[in-house]
Amino acid sequence: MNPLTERAESVEEWLGLLRSKPELMENVTYWHTQPARPARTVPLPPNIHPKLAEALRSKGISELYTHQAASYQAVAEGRHVVAVTPTASGKTLCYNLPVLQTLLHDDSARALYLFPTKALAQDQVAELQQLADLMEVDIKTHTYDGDTPPTVRTAIRNAGHIVVTNPDMLHSAILPHHTKWVKLFENIRYIIIDELHAYRGVFGSHVANVIRRLQRICKFYGSNPQFLCASATIRNPREHAERLLGASVALIDDNGAPTGEKHMVFYNPPVVNQQLGIRRSSVLESQKLAALLLKSGIQTIVFARSRVRVEILLTYLQELIKGELGKKSIRGYRGGYLPKLRREIEKGLRSGEIRGVVSTNALELGIDIGQLQACVLNGYPGSIASTWQQSGRAGRRQGSSVTFLVASSNPLDQYLIQNPDYFLGRPPEEARIHPDNLLILLDHIKCAAYELPFEEGDSFGGEKLTDLLEFLVEEKVLHHVGNRWYWMEQAFPAHNISLRTAAQENIVIIDMTEGHKVIGEVDRFSAPTLVHEEAIYLHEGVQYQVEKLDYPEKKAYVRQVNVDYFTDASLAVELKVLHVDLETKSGPLERHFGEVTVMAKPTIFKKIRLRTHENIGSGPIHLPEEILHTSGYWFSFSEEESAKRSANDMQMALLGLANVLIHLAPLHLMCDPFDIRVVPQVKATHTKRPTIYFYDRYPGGIGLSQRLYEMHDELLEEAERLIVGCGCLSGCPACVGPIEEVGLLGKTQALSLLRGARAEA
Amino acid sequence: MSGLRERLERLRAAAQASEAAEAAQTADAEVKAETEAASPSCAEQAGRTASKLHPAFRAIGVEEIENDGGSFLLRRLAYPLPYSHGRYGLEELQRSAGWLAPVAARQNQTRATAPVDVSRLLFLDTETTGLGVGAGNVPFMIGFGYYADQAFIVEQTLIRHPGEERAMLEYLLTHLKDKEHLVTYNGRTFDWPVIVSRYIMNGWRTSGAEPGHLDFLHPSRALWRKTLASCRLATVEEARLGFVRGEDVPGSLAPALYVQFLNDGNPEHLHGVYTHNEKDVLTLAALAVHFAQLLEDRPGTEPLDDEDGEELYCTASWLEKHGQEEHAERLFARLADRPDAGERAWCLALATRYKKLGRMDRAVPLWEAAVACTEYGLLPKTDAFVELAMHHEHRTKDLGLALDYAKRALAMLGRRARMNRANASLSDDREKLQRRIERLEARIGRAAERG
Repeated sequence: MNPLTERAESVEEWLGLLRSKPELMENVTYWHTQPARPARTVPLPPNIHPKLAEALRSKGISELYTHQAASYQAVAEGRHVVAVTPTASGKTLCYNLPVLQTLLHDDSARALYLFPTKALAQDQVAELQQLADLMEVDIKTHTYDGDTPPTVRTAIRNAGHIVVTNPDMLHSAILPHHTKWVKLFENIRYIIIDELHAYRGVFGSHVANVIRRLQRICKFYGSNPQFLCASATIRNPREHAERLLGASVALIDDNGAPTGEKHMVFYNPPVVNQQLGIRRSSVLESQKLAALLLKSGIQTIVFARSRVRVEILLTYLQELIKGELGKKSIRGYRGGYLPKLRREIEKGLRSGEIRGVVSTNALELGIDIGQLQACVLNGYPGSIASTWQQSGRAGRRQGSSVTFLVASSNPLDQYLIQNPDYFLGRPPEEARIHPDNLLILLDHIKCAAYELPFEEGDSFGGEKLTDLLEFLVEEKVLHHVGNRWYWMEQAFPAHNISLRTAAQENIVIIDMTEGHKVIGEVDRFSAPTLVHEEAIYLHEGVQYQVEKLDYPEKKAYVRQVNVDYFTDASLAVELKVLHVDLETKSGPLERHFGEVTVMAKPTIFKKIRLRTHENIGSGPIHLPEEILHTSGYWFSFSEEESAKRSANDMQMALLGLANVLIHLAPLHLMCDPFDIRVVPQVKATHTKRPTIYFYDRYPGGIGLSQRLYEMHDELLEEAERLIVGCGCLSGCPACVGPIEEVGLLGKTQALSLLRGARAEA
Repeated sequence: MSGLRERLERLRAAAQASEAAEAAQTADAEVKAETEAASPSCAEQAGRTASKLHPAFRAIGVEEIENDGGSFLLRRLAYPLPYSHGRYGLEELQRSAGWLAPVAARQNQTRATAPVDVSRLLFLDTETTGLGVGAGNVPFMIGFGYYADQAFIVEQTLIRHPGEERAMLEYLLTHLKDKEHLVTYNGRTFDWPVIVSRYIMNGWRTSGAEPGHLDFLHPSRALWRKTLASCRLATVEEARLGFVRGEDVPGSLAPALYVQFLNDGNPEHLHGVYTHNEKDVLTLAALAVHFAQLLEDRPGTEPLDDEDGEELYCTASWLEKHGQEEHAERLFARLADRPDAGERAWCLALATRYKKLGRMDRAVPLWEAAVACTEYGLLPKTDAFVELAMHHEHRTKDLGLALDYAKRALAMLGRRARMNRANASLSDDREKLQRRIERLEARIGRAAERG
């Protein structure tokens, strides 16, 4: 440590400094250390093309990590592979190496790369282009997405060796026009799917079907490509890949990349009000830790859970270190920044020019920002997988790194910070998909039939195809002649089928301070709470006030201001039953399936003073409500049953039961927890009784709640088993929820409610 | 776990329950589905017993063709030449097709001198099952025409079901082989890509040069975009080729009619589609005659003066772009000589053209006419004033006159800005004009001193 500048030579030295500060150390509830690991390498395989070997050497790669070599070998054996190694372990080489090797030997060969977002696609093209330039060979790599100008599309279709795109584009633009892509599909050798873990739940189920269609088209053109996949750490990478691809896959997870020592520090903000047990804000504590790191010259990333929090943290940090580092050396990063700005920030992080970044989970995906030294998590990111992935942003191949998990006051955070074993001893979450979800499957059978007629003996998915095809014939979508089924509608099916939940519509934010300049964008669903009129919109730490939100035209007009508050909007969510399709009564329970609408309406916004976070005013928001029309399943308890408890106990019991069910439901539906919502209501509007609602978070519904309705008994039986079997004393996040949420008796109350209902049924 | 069939039924049930309003309709469809299930559709029967052709097909001259790819239906019609379609005789193209060379050159980026040979033209129009050029859009009928010795032949293929496509494509190939250009209406971006897609789907691969295009959508738009309500083929043929169809099945209904035919096998649904497609092919030939004769500048085919001169101006510009400078100049001159030239939208563009050619004798009167019309007109425009100010400053050296025009231009600009509630974008022009005025005044002052 340089006593004059207070700059630390290394993270190790900085940690020594931390240990010497009792006022901070008393908030550390747990300190976990992962020892350093040396590299394990093997020589480059002898058959690597000399130009490729030379290019790698000039990038400083003269040997391969064991996982890279294993992947190369498995691909050479003709197997599909999935590589699962941490961030910055040289994962992309696992697939780029075999692809480039093949292209160098065969100029007619083609490869298709799929990334979940456009930004990741662009990174990849830059990296491949750099390698091609080093080799001085003409390997054409192009992105093909919504931004590709029509004039170059034809050239890409005919001459691109590597086409980089996303599943949405594949679904709606490439596959339905496959006859324009003859060159690609006849010669396709590899299909690369990176960020495999992102394809889970309903989205993943759609993507699995898009892959089935892709495989069908490849087969039609006589090609049989290998799939080379990469994934962040999830519990079931091989199984997930195999479900997604419908084929057996070799798992590559023997990470040979070196890592420095990693420290994981659990930090709980101090209690400031003993009587009420109120802790200091996690935002302020995160800011303190980050500032301490940054002032010591340690490159740091801070993750916050919302866009507003990112901006507030950024504002505070920029101010705190104003004198020591330039403002431009601490940046924000989140969805809504324009692509150009994002590229600039990524580049600055890689070069080290930018010393600190505050980000939402937008930087959780594999965007290349190099490796940082420290990571501060403002609040638990919500899943074990996300936590590891965000923490993986800190950690160089040499030298130590540190991650702080700063707990917020919400019950889950508090549970984790006090029970670090719960987090450290648990594998990351599973990625689940259900490609044979009937509605999704039928959607894609339509698309597939449009692309190529089905023939007797074909298969598509796990259900009996001829039954599905005949169903579509009856619905006059297909026409059956001889041994084939032909598409017979005028419409273009892919247009009506979106792979993702939300319409990808954005509202652009226009700064009118000087002329008119677009500074960012916000998705339609967040707009009512982020850019309502009078809102303070923070962008890169600069304050703007929204003067006009033109909702139909999708424009928000803002002007730069300098005020000492930010705004926080409240959203009133209302669930309404429109129509009951099915109902059953069993004992004290009545269960229903039907149509529901979920209305979200922004009501008021609060003005909150910076730093003190006190409420200094409010105002109304006048905007139309967002309506989600979907299908739901709900069950309610009889009046006798509710009479047995006080309203408060019933509340806790219902909440606890709902928490258990939301763990179980995705397991049975093979969906993501985000795909389905659970809402417990002590006195529901529709039934006037204690009710637990489930609904699909997809417009029109996607069949999830209907399955739950059908498996109701099984679901409750499992819920009972789970609560009884959970080793915790009185509630934990793995069963009914932590006691901070459901109270001391939450576990027993949930169990007794459940047992009562089941016994009489 | 319930069976798939059961779940599908529930899916349907759920869909019906939620669409209470459409309940009646759905029930209807179900009854229909049941009756159809009882008796397999005639289309399928026709597919199986190939030799028995439905009499309603035979009634309009359709016959069944078999080749290596299987079987399909063909209707062949011969129009002995001479044959009039609207105001043109189709035989005229046999003599004048060569004149289309500049159009072919422009559309296919070939040498302008490459000849267009009437016997190597294929007039093509498809009827498809859907919209767009995706892989699932199938041309169920392909109509094409060509010139034989003494006749214009129209052939129309039809597939009774998608399984017959291969045979149809095989047959079309024999006609494509010796053809050099496809004559179409939007065929470059629609009909031809759709057909290419079908060849690929059936295992063919493109090799060698693709046929060239004579797609008359673009020339038609160039001529009539401003004067016709739309440039749809039916509008163009009625308004400019003098052909009235009378009762016609619009092309947009063709997909639905074909689906009806697929469902009940009754060829009568398609009679209207056959007629529509046949007329389209004939109109393509008439359209080719029209453009060939226009380029030929044949006496008697001179375009008429339209009321506002728009069509004449578009025609002249189109001719100029296709290398017919003299002919174009004649038409432009006719426009320039019109007493109403000053008030027409094309006046300034025409003046600019003359200015570029150095024909100030033509340009100046046009500007003067425009000035006369705008000075007291409803909508102030400055362009002609500025042009005249420049003209007199630099060419006639009549500085006083130039200053006068410049000042009037500035006045116009002020009026315009006021009408527009002071549009900031005009300030640039204002500055330029003010500089011009200052410069002119200075020069006049210096001249006076010297004088």
